This record gives sequence, structure tokens and C-alpha cells, in this order.
Amino acid sequence: MASEDDEFTMLFQDFYPSLCRFLECLLGGRAPLAQDLAQESFLQLHRTAWGTLPPGEARFWLYRVARNLAINEFRKSNTRYRLFDRVVEALRPAARNPEQEYETRERKQLVLEMLHTLPEDQRTALLLREQEQLSYREIGDVMNVSESKVKVDIFRARAALRERWSKRAKTAGASAG
Amino acid sequence: MSCSFTEKISSLIDGELATAEAREVERHVLTCAECEQVRADFLNLRSQIAGFETLKNPVVSNRALKKILTQEDRVPVSGMRWGWSTPAIAFATLLVIGAIIGFVFYQTPNTDQQTVAVVESPTPAPSPEPTKEEEKSATPKEEKRPAPAPRKPIVREPKPGEQFALVSEPDPTSSPAERVRSADAETLTVIHFEKSETLLRAFRNVRLNTSSAREEVAYERKRAQQLVYQNMILRRAADANGDVHLASILESLEPILLDIANLPDKPDGDKVRTIRERVERKNIVPLLQINSAALARALDD
Repeated sequence: MASEDDEFTMLFQDFYPSLCRFLECLLGGRAPLAQDLAQESFLQLHRTAWGTLPPGEARFWLYRVARNLAINEFRKSNTRYRLFDRVVEALRPAARNPEQEYETRERKQLVLEMLHTLPEDQRTALLLREQEQLSYREIGDVMNVSESKVKVDIFRARAALRERWSKRAKTAGASAG
Repeated sequence: MSCSFTEKISSLIDGELATAEAREVERHVLTCAECEQVRADFLNLRSQIAGFETLKNPVVSNRALKKILTQEDRVPVSGMRWGWSTPAIAFATLLVIGAIIGFVFYQTPNTDQQTVAVVESPTPAPSPEPTKEEEKSATPKEEKRPAPAPRKPIVREPKPGEQFALVSEPDPTSSPAERVRSADAETLTVIHFEKSETLLRAFRNVRLNTSSAREEVAYERKRAQQLVYQNMILRRAADANGDVHLASILESLEPILLDIANLPDKPDGDKVRTIRERVERKNIVPLLQINSAALARALDD
């Protein structure tokens, strides 16, 4: 039991931060909720599937469940979470380097906003590719779709983001000039 | 995006094309300005998305882990069995039917009241279970289990400085000629990082059990042989410029490139797997991504 918990701890330490990041990007920047859902995914793994999954499968299982939890959240009214996130943001201690912190936050916000314009399946596929380095086959396993759909989704997501990015750059250039 | 190759560029940068096709697309990119721009834009998007910080506060992670491990004992999937006898099922069925009949009778005169109640009911409590259809695909063998304790949101701690800040600023006291030389070296380093990243991704996706595996590995080996010399030159240049950060990245990349370059004609599956594991463990691909983007941005500025 102890060694099982040790293994679980190792898995948790390896993947909890990246699962939080994945969920945060998927949910449009709601960090506390993302951490909550990541915790919930690990809890479900610990309670039910841990020990029954083949080696190396736990990671994909986690992403699959985390995505499902996120989809459930999309379907619910999310007003109170947004309110909570704002309260948390307001209560955060002041940054040590406010200028740098501001720039980081701006860039982060821009990426989140652009990602949020994509359909959920394209966003998930792109995040799993760019952040988690999963292959098309592995992404297909997580999302329960074919490899060719993953390929098309990722391409469409990139093309859409590229277009928005260049439009944004043009608008920024025009307003500066 | 009018060129017919643009869709393939997406697969190319993911290392998901077969060797021959990858070579064809790479050759095309060299001659097509539009595709070259698309590739640069896709790689830039990648660095923006991959550069998104992960949670770095171990206190928050440890608190979450402790909470999970101290939750009630897990319910083994195989150990959960419905041990109902026939009379119990009959009794339960009767109860359900009775409840439905009672509900229908009670419901009829109070339709308006019920509508109001539905409208006034607060947001439903968050359900930890995935939706039915999603749940089916995610955990097909899972059975109903007790709902976990209500979630407590975790307050995020401030994060330390971003990874982009790792790129050293140019020395304002250096001469213009020195600055140009340094910019050249940085441009070469960006290109080198991007090429190495593509190689490592492609190497990770080589399928060992296919008939074309040998040919694919031979191609990656050749690319690694080309890159390893470039890596040595750039590492020495970074050392000479006193750029410890770049030198250390190039230093950790070098043994991996060497290992791939030195693979035999008929590579052993274990050897390839060992190199892949090392790449994963060192986290070298995201490191290359982030730093090439940061360098490119610094050059733009």
C-alpha cells in the first residue's frame, strides 16, 4: 500500500502542474477552478482506477477525466466561479516586479483569449500537442477520436489562431500609426 | 494560405510526417515564401502556448496531494458488486412504482408552483462526474461511487519570474560590431534550436515496429550528425561570449544529438527507447521551444 502511494505521489508530482496548466488554458484562465478539477481528477484516479490501469496509461486517463470534468463545467452556470476568481485575483499579494508581472499577465491573457475563441475539441487537441507533447495517436486516445481528426483539428486551430494573431497585429499597427 | 502544402506544415512541425514526405515538404518550404512564413508563425504560436507557466508552488501541490491521500479509502473497481436478492429487487421496484404514482398524483394540481420552484432553484451543486456520454468513453468500467467531499478552492500563490526572462540582455557597453556578431550567433542558435526541436519530435514519433522504421531512423541519424557539429560550434561561441544559459542548454542537447548520430544501421529498439526517455526526462523539447522563441523575440526587439 505504501509503495502504491509512493508511486501515486511520483505520478502526482510529475503531472499535477501540467494538468493544472492544461485545465487553466481549457477553462479560459480560471486557475483556482483548474487546480480544483486537477485535484478531482487525481482523486478519482486514486479512488477507482489506480492499480487497475496498464503502466503508462494513468497519464492519458487523467487527461481524459480532466477534460470531461471541464466539459461539465462549461455546461454549468459559471458566474460564481468567475466572481470567486476575481476575488482571488484581487487578494493576491503585490508582485515583486510589477512591470514584469504586468507584461506576463498581459501575454498570458492574450494567449487565453485567443485559445478561448477555438471550439473545445480544437483547443484540447492543440493544448495536448503544444503543452503536453502528446503524439496525434495519444491525443486521439485521450479524446476518443481518430488520428486524422486530431490532425485536422490541430491544423484548423493553428490556422485560425494565426489569422487572428495577424489581424490583431495589423490592428495594433494601425492604431499605433 | 493558398499553397497546398500548408496543411502538411502543421504535421511537419509536429514530426508526424513519414520520412519521405517530410523531406519533400522541407524542400518545398525552402522555395515557398508563404509556407516559410506559415511555419514561422506556427512555431511562434507554439512557443506562446508552450510558454504558459505551470504551477510552480510545491506548497500548493503538496497540500493537494495530502488532501487526496487522506480522503476516504478508495473503492476498488472489481470489489464493488451488487449483492441484491430477488425479494430486495421486488421490494425496491414496488417502492419506485409507488413513488412514481404518488408523484404523478401530487404533481397534477400544482404545476404552476413547480415551475416557480424550478426557476427559483439555485445553480445546481457542481457534480464531479463527467457527463454520461463522456464518462462512458473515459471510464467505461467505472461504477457509481460515493460523491467526494465538497471541493475547497485553492488560492494560488504568486509565481516566480517567467521563463522568457532567462535570455540575457545585450550588453549596452559592447561595440556595434560585437553586437552584430552576437546577433548573428543568436540567429543561428534560434535556427539550430528549431531544427533540433523538429528532429527530437520526429525521433520520438518513429514507430519501431513498422517496415520503414530503419529508413526513418537513418534519416534522423543523418540530421543529428549535421546538427551535432553546429551544436559544438554554437556551444563554444556561447562559452566564449560568457552566455552561461545558452551554453548549458546546448551542453545538455549535445549528448542526445550524439547518441542519435551514433545509432547503428539496425538500431536496437531498447537503444532508441533509452534515448527517447532521456529526451523526456531532460525536458529538452519544451526548453528548446521556449528559448528559441525568447531569443527570436529578443532579436526582434
